[in-house]
Order: sequence, then C-alpha cells, then structure tokens
Amino acid sequence: MLPDGTTHIDGEDDIVYVRKQVRDLASGIGFNLTDVTRIITAASELARNIYRYAGKGRMKYAVLHQRGAVGIELEFQDEGPGIADIPQAMEPGYTTSRGLGLGLPGSKRMMDEFHVWSEVGKGTIVTIRKWKRNN
Amino acid sequence: MLDSNVSVLKLRGILFVTVPAEPGDDLINHLQQKILESMEQHEAKGLILDISTVSALDSFFARTIVETAQMVGLMGGRTVISGMRPEVAITATQLGLSLGNILTALNMDRALDMLEGLEEEEWDR
Ligand SMILES: Nc1ncnc2c1ncn2[C@@H]1O[C@H](COP(=O)(O)OP(=O)(O)O)[C@@H](O)[C@H]1O
Ligand SMILES: [Mg+2]
Repeated sequence: MLPDGTTHIDGEDDIVYVRKQVRDLASGIGFNLTDVTRIITAASELARNIYRYAGKGRMKYAVLHQRGAVGIELEFQDEGPGIADIPQAMEPGYTTSRGLGLGLPGSKRMMDEFHVWSEVGKGTIVTIRKWKRNN
Repeated sequence: MLDSNVSVLKLRGILFVTVPAEPGDDLINHLQQKILESMEQHEAKGLILDISTVSALDSFFARTIVETAQMVGLMGGRTVISGMRPEVAITATQLGLSLGNILTALNMDRALDMLEGLEEEEWDR
C-alpha cells in the first residue's frame, strides 16, 4: 500500500509540507474528512513544536494494519532541549513561548493514541496514532 | 511574491480578505500586516476575513486571527470571520481554540449583513 517514510522538518515551509503530506496519507487511507482534519491539525502542531523548540527534526509516518483495522502513525522526533516536566507541558495553556499552550493537549484529544518520550538535553519524541472507524 | 497571494478588497467601508488555502507562517504574518495597513489607509469600519478555503486551523494561525481582530478593534473596526468549514470548526473546538468574542458567519454575505446590522444598531442608540 502506501510507503512508510520520513520527512525532515527544518523550517517553516516544512510545516506546510508536513500538512500536505499528512493530508495525502490520511485521505489515501480513507479517513473521513473530520478525522483527516484532526490528523493534519495535530501534525501541524507537533511539527511546529519541533521547529520552534528544537530548530529541526523529522516526522516518521507509517500505515498500520492490526487485526483488520487500518490506522496511521506519525512520530515527531527531535534532538532539541527536551521537556523537563511532561505533565506540566501537557496542561492546556502551559507554554514557554507565548503560544496558546494547546499543541500537546489538543493533539492528545484529537488522536486515539498519544505518547511523549523526552529527556532533557537529548530530545523529544511524540508519537500519535489514529484508527479508521469502519462505518 | 507573497503579495500576489493576498488580496484586500474594500467595498462600502468594509475590507474583504480571503485567506489562501494552506497558508504558511510567512503568509499569515504578511496577511496580518496587510490588513492593518489597509484598515488605516481606507479608514475601514470593518473586516470580513473569509477562511472558507482553509482546511485546517492550528493554534498559531488561530492566535494570529484573534490578534488581528483585536488590533482591528483598537482601530475602531469590527471583524467577522466567515466560511469556517464544519470539520475545521469541530477540530478547532477539540483543540481547545476559542476565537474570543470575534463574530463568525456562514459566508461573506451573512458576514456583511452582520456588520451592516451592527452599524444600524449603533445609529439607533
Ligand atoms: N519538541 C519539543 N521540544 C522541547 N519542548 C517542547 C517540545 N514540544 C513542546 N515543548 C514544550 O511544551 C510546551 C507546550 O507545548 P504546546 O502544548 O505545543 O504549546 P505551545 O507550543 O503553544 O507552547 C511548550 O511551550 C514547550 O515548553
Ligand atoms: Mg505548540
């Protein structure tokens, strides 16, 4: 089916590119319009976090097949400063950059699965998954 | 180059701006600047910002819209956001975005009615 792959995030233009790529991927899998929009929005937030807080990083994407279900997995990886207090970063409104503080908690709400790994000085990996509803 | 992507139309004292599909950060910032310049130049009393081609609203974009509407407000104008797609509205709400007290309308036509209605109300007072 669709190939798995990696997209580099180096600048603002890459955020637009990530959105386009995620749209093609998610609609190709057959997600409904609202879910496609949710996945694009989450990807946009997480790609922006990489650009803003780590400078650069990448998005890995994969199509999942599990017990007859089809899904999408996006992994946002960077080698930036990391997040010292993950629960705090997950609080709606918490920001260290005069943002809205909605990127992480909002992405979590929009996805079926959401996981953050981070170590100060090493980097951050945010993994999101969404499964296609079969109706 | 950015300029060709943004057009600001002025009709009866109101600015009409259509946000291009898939705007990047530069374009969004440029749009904001251009709107504020036009507000001043035309002494406009209102702004209709149409987002019907926008297929996903993230928090950066939403913040810029809210900021722009606040600045337009400081310049004495009212902002109406028109044409937000249903799936964008659903997603924005789930993300936790709020457009503050910015008015929203189904389309540009309704947005215009709204601004003109507000104006009449102010006359009545
Ligand atoms: N990739 C990352 N690297 C380092 N810190 C991050 C990263 N992503 C998020 N953060 C931290 O988590 C906070 C909350 O992120 P988010 O919910 O996206 O809101 P915002 O970006 O508006 O601040 C950020 O302000 C930042 O301190
Ligand atoms: Mg963010």
